Amino acid sequence: MTKNEKKSLNQSLAEWKLFIYNPTTGEFLGRTAKSWGLILLFYLVFYGFLAALFSFTMWVMLQTLNDEVPKYRDQIPSPGLMVFPKPVTALEYTFSRSDPTSYAGYIEDLKKFLKPYTLEEQKNLTVCPDGALFEQKGPVYVACQFPISLLQACSGMNDPDFGYSQGNPCILVKMNRIIGLKPEGVPRIDCVLKVGYLQPLVAVQVSFAPNNTGKEVTVECKIDGSANLKSQDDRDKFLGRVTFKITARA
Amino acid sequence: MSQQTPEIYSVELSGTKDIVKTDKGDGKKYRGLKNNCLERKKKNHKEEFQKELHLGLSSTRAAELLARDGPNSLTPPKQTPEIVKFLKQMVGGFSVLLWVGAFLCWMAFGIEYSSNKSASLNNVYLGSVLVLVVIFTGIFAYYQEAKSTNIMSSFKKMIPQQALVIRDSEKKSIPSEQLVVGDIVEVKGGDQIPADIRVLSSQGCRVDNSSLTGESEPQPRSSEFTHENPLETKNICFYSTTCLEGTITGMVINTGDRTIIGHIASLASGVGNEKTPIAIEIEHFVHIVAGVAVSIGILFFIIAVSMNYRVLDSIIFLIGIIVANVPEGLLATVTVTLSLTAKRMAKKNCLVKNLEAVETLGSTSIICSDKTGTLTQNRMTVAHLWFDNQIFVADTSENHSNQVFDQSSRTWASLSKIITLCNRAEFKPGQENVPIMKKAVIGDASETALLKFSEVILGDVMEIRKRNRKVAEIPFNSTNKFQLSIHETDDPHDKRFLMVMKGAPERILEKCSTIMINGEEHPLDESTAKAFHTAYMELGGLGERVLGFCHLYLPAHEFPETYKFDTDAMNFPTSNLCFVGLLSMIDPPRSTVPDAVTKCRSAGIKVIMVTGDHPITAKAIAKSVGIISANSETVEDIARRLSIAVEQVNKWDAKAAVVTGMELKDMSSEQVDEILANYQEIVFARTSPQQKLIIVEGCQRQDAVVAVTGDGVNDSPALKKADIGVAMGIAGSDAAKNAADMVLLDDNFASIVTGVEEGRLIFDNLKKTIAYTLTKNIAELCPFLIYIIVGLPLPIGTITILFIDLGTDIIPSIALAYEKAESDIMNRKPRHKKKDRLVNQPLAVYSYLHIGLMQALGAFLVYFTVYAQEGFLPRRLINLRVEWEKDYVNDLEDSYGQEWTRYQRAYLEWTGYTAFFVGILVQQIADLIIRKTRRNSIFQQGLFRNKVIWVGIASQIVIGLVLSYGLGSVTALSFTMLRAQYWFVAVPHAILIWVYDEVRKLFIRLYPGSWWDKNMYY
Repeated sequence: MTKNEKKSLNQSLAEWKLFIYNPTTGEFLGRTAKSWGLILLFYLVFYGFLAALFSFTMWVMLQTLNDEVPKYRDQIPSPGLMVFPKPVTALEYTFSRSDPTSYAGYIEDLKKFLKPYTLEEQKNLTVCPDGALFEQKGPVYVACQFPISLLQACSGMNDPDFGYSQGNPCILVKMNRIIGLKPEGVPRIDCVLKVGYLQPLVAVQVSFAPNNTGKEVTVECKIDGSANLKSQDDRDKFLGRVTFKITARA
Repeated sequence: MSQQTPEIYSVELSGTKDIVKTDKGDGKKYRGLKNNCLERKKKNHKEEFQKELHLGLSSTRAAELLARDGPNSLTPPKQTPEIVKFLKQMVGGFSVLLWVGAFLCWMAFGIEYSSNKSASLNNVYLGSVLVLVVIFTGIFAYYQEAKSTNIMSSFKKMIPQQALVIRDSEKKSIPSEQLVVGDIVEVKGGDQIPADIRVLSSQGCRVDNSSLTGESEPQPRSSEFTHENPLETKNICFYSTTCLEGTITGMVINTGDRTIIGHIASLASGVGNEKTPIAIEIEHFVHIVAGVAVSIGILFFIIAVSMNYRVLDSIIFLIGIIVANVPEGLLATVTVTLSLTAKRMAKKNCLVKNLEAVETLGSTSIICSDKTGTLTQNRMTVAHLWFDNQIFVADTSENHSNQVFDQSSRTWASLSKIITLCNRAEFKPGQENVPIMKKAVIGDASETALLKFSEVILGDVMEIRKRNRKVAEIPFNSTNKFQLSIHETDDPHDKRFLMVMKGAPERILEKCSTIMINGEEHPLDESTAKAFHTAYMELGGLGERVLGFCHLYLPAHEFPETYKFDTDAMNFPTSNLCFVGLLSMIDPPRSTVPDAVTKCRSAGIKVIMVTGDHPITAKAIAKSVGIISANSETVEDIARRLSIAVEQVNKWDAKAAVVTGMELKDMSSEQVDEILANYQEIVFARTSPQQKLIIVEGCQRQDAVVAVTGDGVNDSPALKKADIGVAMGIAGSDAAKNAADMVLLDDNFASIVTGVEEGRLIFDNLKKTIAYTLTKNIAELCPFLIYIIVGLPLPIGTITILFIDLGTDIIPSIALAYEKAESDIMNRKPRHKKKDRLVNQPLAVYSYLHIGLMQALGAFLVYFTVYAQEGFLPRRLINLRVEWEKDYVNDLEDSYGQEWTRYQRAYLEWTGYTAFFVGILVQQIADLIIRKTRRNSIFQQGLFRNKVIWVGIASQIVIGLVLSYGLGSVTALSFTMLRAQYWFVAVPHAILIWVYDEVRKLFIRLYPGSWWDKNMYY
């Protein structure tokens, strides 16, 4: 029995060898050079054609799009809220007033975020009327100015440390941009937390008492006052709301 | 097992007795066993002989023996336990891959959970879904199998039998299962023999041993010991054979499995059942697909790991690749397809026991067929008449409706009178409305044939007999070889008695001095005698049984009306009669058989006749049905034509061969091979059922797929050995039906041919089903590969893939089973077992690399369209995967600067899944349509001829709509409500697929044998 198996193993090895290269027919992997040439040529032409066709259909598809405005916005009917400094993993900020390195990253992040909002960057933008929707029809679109002074103490203009060194850290709350979003009513962002807070429009400054070390604060911000901007979705925890935690250590 | 196999031969007993005597060489192994058998019987005899026969056994002794030997019934063949069958379904085919996938899923969760307690349960769900898929498809396949086996179990039911036994010196009727060795039993005509019994006394008993030995003649049984071999001797009756007439009292010598039939039944189950060709093909296909799945999976696992993906993620990719590659629903579809065909075949009188046998018949290249009952009608019928120096042909078709020979001659009037009167057969009463040919008759085969023949031509035979009252009669016996009766005539003016006689032609002629020609009596001279002999030889040469007929009007003055005829004293003349004519009978072929044989021939199937009958008869039937074609000659024919000795003929000049069992048993297996390979047309005559097995083995050595028909118990080893054993539903014994893979309900050879046609069709259609199913695997696989390498958000989820494989694709792939054949399926050679594979290289290449790739591109187009129109242009998607999947990135910018939360992205991803799903679905419709044919244009085939295809397409669309719009809100299924226009994005690709395939088929048709044909035809 073993003898047979051995023989068949040798046989199959020989068969494989013959399959890889058959000197009598000149076949390599079951095909002659001519056959390989033909088949490769065929696939070259065939796949070339498919690639061209695919590119063409993609091009046609892209022609249906507008450069300025996405075709559909049904997947993002309502904006999410996001906070700055940008959280690394979870929405948790930990800093120590006495240790500038613990918040240096946050300040860096905030500065980077606010850079486009500086007066020089915004000088080409339009001044839009306050309290009313600024609608445009195109084809040339302009953007409104956002006076950074609205952020008051968190604007970074007066306090380059955004309050972190005083133990009153600033967190910017930002509404996700959605093109063509028209809020109904007068939306505002309300933030609720256990300790007292200042209320700028989109910036939250939490003030920790100087002696209050190791304090944890959970802040929840929500869009309010607009019927079509949702802030109560069971599955999407960031739809019109954001919850974050600040821990101040000594 | 290898020890047991030869034993099968040992219990064979053959119609031709000489086999036992002359077995040589390899026959030794048989002989030993025969002797064993004999010795055991002798011992039994001695042991039990002391008993007082009329007392029988005492109940207590019987109970002891019953406890010792067990009940007198055959142990049913070992069944695979249901649980084993079920578990086989659970681990067979692709299930192993899916189990591995599920296991990997749970493992991935376990690893994740150990480091992060809040790990998502997605992997657990996926693993459970995979297990559910395995269990669901396993249960389904098991159910299908079980359903088809249940059809057969009806055959196994045997009515419990009663046996009349003498116990405690009383006659009792007990269930035959309780019989023990030594019991004295009484059996009467019509009963089944309840055990192997030795005859103690018998009265005119004849038994039908045909199911055991193939001897179709009733065998007389008496207490006389006539042969050393228990199988040959006249004083033993065998279990399960039937007592036809008379009564026997006998002693039970063997019970249950120790009976001859028990030996055969148990040994037949020892013959290994080979894998069916379709099982081999499916295994081959599973290997290919599993090989592709595992190698791509591992390749991309390595790529993923080397691209710095986490091992855990790489495992998840691996699972995705496996799930995408495995056609989960396909094996269930194949089972359904096979059982649909099985049902269709059952309607055409082929009952398939084993689903896979459906296809085996299609790949059959040799059919070894019985003659009697399968090729022939299994009843003697008048075929020729000779009178007035002329041979007339009688109609032998099933209803005799068309008797065209000249009936005006007065000789015919006399002949018909003899046929009518010199006949003891009678119709059973109460069959007035039954067609003549179907009426039951009391009497032997020849007399029945004559009775029906005369009834058809002359009308009411019984009435004619009444008018010609019988006054004396000598029935046929083997010493006289004639039958005689004396009648009053129906002519009131003719007071003579008419003596009519029939019998062996030469014996009848001896008794005649005159011959009737055109109604006139002529002296029987040399030339008329010569004419008689020529006719006799000619009819005999046709393999027909010839009878001679003569009559004599007894002179009224010698035999007045009151004359007392005495048949013992023979007080009447039995010589110098007037010879009237000859009549020959044959068991004629079924009228559908010649067509069926022609079909087989054009289908490249060799039909070999294997019969226990006489070579001349066998050859005649073979010629008349076309097994030996009109212009072929055997060695003997050539020898006769050239008037040389048989030995001088070059045997390879002959196309046909008639081999007798006697010749066969002297042949080595090489010689058998030589005959099977070199002759196109072969008839094996005078063979025993055991030689059938040798013939089957010989055919299998030629790499042929062999179908064998059989009905007797002794055929069961051959039926098992054959690639497909075909048992006869009417004439077949239970043992034969058990051993067979298929049962012919009408015993008709033509039904086998219908089966072949269905089997070939199903093979073609399975190819189409598999090609259809494999195609989308590429479209399911590419997303994962692109996801890993290019980093697009995942285009299609694992669960979504399962919805295609087990949802939208199921009914369409079954619908392909209803496709009609593209061309005359019976005009091509049977497929070569090793060369014509179900899944061949062109099929895989064309499905994967041509249509599959086009499909993937089409589906990607839909995917990109959805993303682009929502704001993510294709460029933005590249390498977006990592950011995209981060849970704490809730302001991911799209190409327009809009910002998306994680959940919004997930929802978009599901919309992408749905889009990709719809893209595949739309193109699978095109795929389904192109798979209707492999060579012909769809328009030649008819787009709307197979309505089930359209049911399939409708089901696809409906399931797709329900998933998207009905279940779009169920988060776990990850379907969303897709904009209506996205359903049409892939339509141009679908049309392209159709056009491309039409072009492919066009070139295949235009340039057969070309490079294109070789590479593109699957």
